[in-house]
Amino acid sequence: MTHQPRDLRAINAGQSVADHATRLDGLAKATGAARFGRDQIKKDMLWVRLIRCPWGRAKLDSLDRDAALATPGVVEVVVSGDDGDYHGDSIGYLVARNRRGLERGLRALNAKWTRLDCQTGILDDEQARGPMDAPSEAAAKAIDAADFSFEARYSTPVQTHSSLETHGLMIEPDGENSIVHASTQGTFVVADQIGRFLGKRRSKIVVDCEYVGGGFGSKFQIGKEGAAGGLAAKSSGEAVYSFCDREEEHLDTGNRPSLLCKVNVGHDADGTIRGARFETFGGTGVSRRGGGARVPSGRFEFGTLDARNHRNVQFNAGGPRAMRAPGCPQGAFVEELLIDEIAHRCGLDPLGLRRRLDDSDRRQRMYDVAADLIGWENRTDTGSQSGTMRTGYGIGTCDWGKGRAPAKIEVVVHPDGHLEVRTGTQDIGTGQRTAMGALVAARIGVPLANISVAIGDSRLPAGPASGGSVCTPSTAPAAMAAADLARERILEGVAERDKLDATKLTIDDGVIMEGGRKVVRWEDACRRLSEPVSVTGEFDGRASAYWGEGSSEGVQAARVEVDCETGQVFVREVIAIQSCGLPLVRKTAESQIMGGVIQGTSYALFEEQVLDPTTGAVLNANLESYKILGSEDCPKIIPVLWRDDQTGVRALGEPPVVPTAAAIANAVFNAIGRPVRDLPLRPDRVLAALAEPMAERVVAVAPRTTPPENRA
Amino acid sequence: MTKDSSPHSGSPRKQDVSRRLFLQTIGISAATVATEGQAANANAALNAGGPAIIGPLPARTSLKVNGQKLDYIAEPATTLLEALREQCNITGPKEVCDRAACGGCTVLVDDRPVTSCMMLALDATGRKITTVEGIGTIDDPDPLQIAMAEFDAMQCGFCTPGVVTSAKALLATNPQPNLDEIRAALSGNLCRCGTYPNIFNAVLVASGQAPVVEPTDRGRSVSGEQA
Repeated sequence: MTHQPRDLRAINAGQSVADHATRLDGLAKATGAARFGRDQIKKDMLWVRLIRCPWGRAKLDSLDRDAALATPGVVEVVVSGDDGDYHGDSIGYLVARNRRGLERGLRALNAKWTRLDCQTGILDDEQARGPMDAPSEAAAKAIDAADFSFEARYSTPVQTHSSLETHGLMIEPDGENSIVHASTQGTFVVADQIGRFLGKRRSKIVVDCEYVGGGFGSKFQIGKEGAAGGLAAKSSGEAVYSFCDREEEHLDTGNRPSLLCKVNVGHDADGTIRGARFETFGGTGVSRRGGGARVPSGRFEFGTLDARNHRNVQFNAGGPRAMRAPGCPQGAFVEELLIDEIAHRCGLDPLGLRRRLDDSDRRQRMYDVAADLIGWENRTDTGSQSGTMRTGYGIGTCDWGKGRAPAKIEVVVHPDGHLEVRTGTQDIGTGQRTAMGALVAARIGVPLANISVAIGDSRLPAGPASGGSVCTPSTAPAAMAAADLARERILEGVAERDKLDATKLTIDDGVIMEGGRKVVRWEDACRRLSEPVSVTGEFDGRASAYWGEGSSEGVQAARVEVDCETGQVFVREVIAIQSCGLPLVRKTAESQIMGGVIQGTSYALFEEQVLDPTTGAVLNANLESYKILGSEDCPKIIPVLWRDDQTGVRALGEPPVVPTAAAIANAVFNAIGRPVRDLPLRPDRVLAALAEPMAERVVAVAPRTTPPENRA
Repeated sequence: MTKDSSPHSGSPRKQDVSRRLFLQTIGISAATVATEGQAANANAALNAGGPAIIGPLPARTSLKVNGQKLDYIAEPATTLLEALREQCNITGPKEVCDRAACGGCTVLVDDRPVTSCMMLALDATGRKITTVEGIGTIDDPDPLQIAMAEFDAMQCGFCTPGVVTSAKALLATNPQPNLDEIRAALSGNLCRCGTYPNIFNAVLVASGQAPVVEPTDRGRSVSGEQA
């Protein structure tokens, strides 16, 4: 290869534990050798498909079970209800010998439904549609005392996870055991949940999820498709394949819920926010929970707050599930656009206003770098441009908690010097496998080529589910502990044999050294082992030396172009600065950040589940009509791995998706001089905004230029 | 339904295929209560003097995949993707949308990229089919596959086989594509994890070109100490 990857993004050189490590399963994935749950296909297995309601709300009138059972290939029809509360709601399932049997069986079943009136969104709720309630006494006082008050309402759509591997599992009998090949982000959750349906105790269940085609928060539970698969496996004793198809995936496997947020703020002429009331309504479909939004986030000073006025609005649609930073991108969109609107009203540079409202030292430094990299000095005043193509710049921010969970990592040292890292936790694309392998290799001091990682199997040491961005922060301390134990075992052996002081020995690139003197190669030291040595590192979820110090914070800056004739928004560039404590593997960490930016850009511009207000049917339940970002829409992205003196491994999966839509919305506001307060930033909305008067300025300012102290 | 849309409109004897019989055949293939007797009768009638009729019941056929002839028995309605995955145990091509919206099932048919979910397996019979497994293996990978891994051009990896296949087809016809050409050639391949920039670089490097080097001159002293 003529060019090495390290030529790229030189900004990140030296920032991670393993800068040059390459994803350990990269070739398996690039050659098709990686076998996902959905690839576990056997010719003689049974297929399962749920029987689903076709409307927002409907009552089952009839179905022809006999005709379905008489259809060649159909082996079982289970119907357990006759009410459908949303499009995709299930009332039973069908089992057949093959795909065609399943399709014909469902047609023969000929379910007839009577469609009933339904509700399809937050705005079906009277309180949500209506005016904002008065702020609390304290907040009202603060807002009244401010120079100006400002009210606005913002909304975000339902976004579906759209993992490319659909939800489901394949179960095959193995003697007394059942092997469950699951598409999951919780190996051990599946092991705990499936037994009830399979009629088997936990010890008879093996879960395999070595490769998982994405999850993004939607694959923590086995779901209805998993339960039906389990029941079918129990009643048949045969291998069973139960996966959603793409339409079902959009209808009934969770989503990022919609949000309506009403805001009332009081601010002074200099941009100081004296007080604010936030009212939020989360669209949770038929679910009662999960609609919350993190707004305000606590990153900015809002004076006297009247927040936490949240209500979940129920209607006839599938319920939400955690989606990559639940509640955060929608909250950040509201909060960051609000700050830019206030900055504009006061004639301030929004970056300068953020510096005043944000008390994180780390983000203050990030603002400098973001402004430098995006070229903030080229930003013109909001609304100052004319012409068809207008350029805008915007900023968004994030932070993340320090969640952790118990985890174990086993390291087996083989007499040939090979190290096997064993963890039951799963790699849903995050790079967990590579991070563990590279961390153990670096900690011991051997090349990554010495390492293999066994992952995603319930027979391996337990670890957390991939949620809350706690997985790597929790497994890393366990891996460090295991690596140190393995290292000590080998060094003690060398010291004893060669009459050396073990504490004076080091390992450098696979060579055991004493001071500057080479003692023995790692492989040769291991050869003295009579059998493989196994050590296990354990993290109990409490702070320790291995947990260390660190936090996840981020700043993103976006540059967009808006076509004011078509209303189309083009995201040209995103600078994504992210701290995650100690980054483990540079390439996979960069990928996580870029992936967050791309999903955030997709959320900002394209994604929106559309329900027919009359029938409640989801109108875009497939990828040709539910648009996600593709190669032609992809902005230039510079991921910046921020590492100051942080020593502990922290969250990286979720935070980078938080600021992107906010930064883009702010950039669009900057370009066209009117805020678009509803996501996605569709062309019709941009054109409607352009038809409005320019956003109001309440503080007179000199024409152009931003005061120097507010500049980046 | 006109005669021209009959499945054998190219046959010199298409006029012999009566509309009634044709509809009956279609009805049976989609029927919920097809019986072997009816199907056999239909086949016999259609076969009288016409070209060989396959189906509607499962029939033995074969595909030429990655240089190997694979025999299998399936209904004529079977798509190429289903035949590969469910009959031939070739699971590199992925079923994602099942309607050509995502590119996850892309294979090469006579060296051209095809979404195999939209092609009947029968229409691929006798043609040269290459899947991601045929482009290279772990032990003997194609330079493109090496570059994909080196540049971390995947996260979960579920779109990767389709991406590799589309990119391979691009390089076959355009050995040194520029960034815009790469974007266009991959516009039918969706990646939910968001790895497009790395995919672009992998394709650039696999074709002997420089990757897109992000401008870092403005970003000196990013954070704290640099190693």
